[in-house]
Amino acid sequence: MFQNNREGLALALPAAVFTAALFLLPVGILLSEAFQVDGQWSLQGYFDFAAKPLNQVVFLRTLKLGFLVAFVSAIIGYAAAFCIVNLDGKHRGRVFGLVVLPLMISPVARTYAWIVILGRTGIVNDAIQGLGLSDTPIRLLFTETAVFLGLLQLFLPLMIISLVSAMENLPKDVVPAARVLGANWLQVFTRVILPLTKDGLVLGGTLVFTGSLTAYITPAILGGSKVLMLETLLYQRVNVANDFVSAGIIATILIVMSFGANLLLKRISAARS
Amino acid sequence: MTGTWASRLIIGLTLTFLIGPFFIIIAAGLSAGDFLAFPPDGLSLKWYLKVFEVESFRESFALSMFLAVFGTIAALILGVPAAYAISRYQIPYGETIKTIVAAPIIVPGIIVGLALLRYLVVPLNFTITLALFLAHTALVLPYAVRVVSSSLNNLRSDMEEAAVLLGCSRLGAFFRVVLPNIQSGVLAAFILGFVTSFNQVPVSLFLSGPGVRTLPIDMLSYMEITYDPSVAALSALLALMSVVIVFVAEKFLGFSRYV
Repeated sequence: MFQNNREGLALALPAAVFTAALFLLPVGILLSEAFQVDGQWSLQGYFDFAAKPLNQVVFLRTLKLGFLVAFVSAIIGYAAAFCIVNLDGKHRGRVFGLVVLPLMISPVARTYAWIVILGRTGIVNDAIQGLGLSDTPIRLLFTETAVFLGLLQLFLPLMIISLVSAMENLPKDVVPAARVLGANWLQVFTRVILPLTKDGLVLGGTLVFTGSLTAYITPAILGGSKVLMLETLLYQRVNVANDFVSAGIIATILIVMSFGANLLLKRISAARS
Repeated sequence: MTGTWASRLIIGLTLTFLIGPFFIIIAAGLSAGDFLAFPPDGLSLKWYLKVFEVESFRESFALSMFLAVFGTIAALILGVPAAYAISRYQIPYGETIKTIVAAPIIVPGIIVGLALLRYLVVPLNFTITLALFLAHTALVLPYAVRVVSSSLNNLRSDMEEAAVLLGCSRLGAFFRVVLPNIQSGVLAAFILGFVTSFNQVPVSLFLSGPGVRTLPIDMLSYMEITYDPSVAALSALLALMSVVIVFVAEKFLGFSRYV
């Protein structure tokens, strides 16, 4: 540890100034514009925004999908992470690598696959028609289900990674010990695994939730204008209507929710340590 | 254990859900037909070849490559000294600086793109390319700082202190002692930054002009007008590129511990 703090500051400052000038300042101005009406500070923009039914629907849908994706990915994540942790070293590394791999692949490519699967001539529709369940293709794209599946596939790896690292810290013998003492699997999960991996769950949940709230590509490709989420609504407001006030308001909502989730995460992890 | 068959089944299903779709797009791109379908209508490589002929794809690929390489290098030039300062000095307002540098991860990208368009490109007459370059640099910076910091924290600081005591300048100690030891961390940061920047969409959404578009944005607008398998073929090629990068990085750097 060096004592010359001025030198240290000089090293760190360029990065901080760069980010502040090119990132925080423009974003700050954009957000502050949403609090102004005709040059006066006002919350009127927010009231107008909240009064529109479409905005309410989109806001609630975004929250709902965020929670749903986080919840389902937690369920799958626990099952998968438990199995991965119990693999032997070589296999564990391989499977873990395959879980991480999709994160490195273009989200456009990852989402596009669902068009092939869910489209009018996709696998699911072929199967439905092949089995005689329907004569005409069913609309699967541009539904909430399609957006949900896309988001789940996009963010599930984050949950699994968080839970695997939480479970690796679990003492090896707690689960067998609980079993020997007569706990069933549900009790093992709720009384032993869940309390001991809470941090991983909260971290994974926050990543998945904020990721889903702020995803653009998935609702854009799989939801279109039929299933708008906050980000696609923002894009539409700006591109179709040049409505920068709504854009600023949506931006504020997104940032408040992301920061809120992050603060909550810090709180919980601070309370435990 | 409840028996390995159950655990194999769970892992198998999870991996099918996560990885399976890629095999589907690879196959869909191999179609000989003119419309996207799975299973493909006959087999041919024509869509994979067509991808290279579409001029807008070539241009946007070049732009995305440029942004990913030079944006990440710029982020490292800013980020390595910052990471060094954070891990080796007790700087005033250290926590504030850390928060500022990490902010681009938390702020949704679409907002950043819009803000840059309105308050940099329009009033200051910046070109779209410059704005994209700055945005991608800022976006990659937090990853660069985080990865290099963790690499620095694993390196004992008494080596460079010894070098300084033996008469090496502080700068010389950094280049001769510290840098060679955090090489793989810096390289991992470069790869992570490259991939993040190359795949980035929301920031670039509003930052596009005539002939200036990143590849993912170009793909998005291409798929709005056509329903042919070329986007599937391109997606498959991009996925393959990422797989190769990650595989090589894992082999030589043990990349996954940095992610």
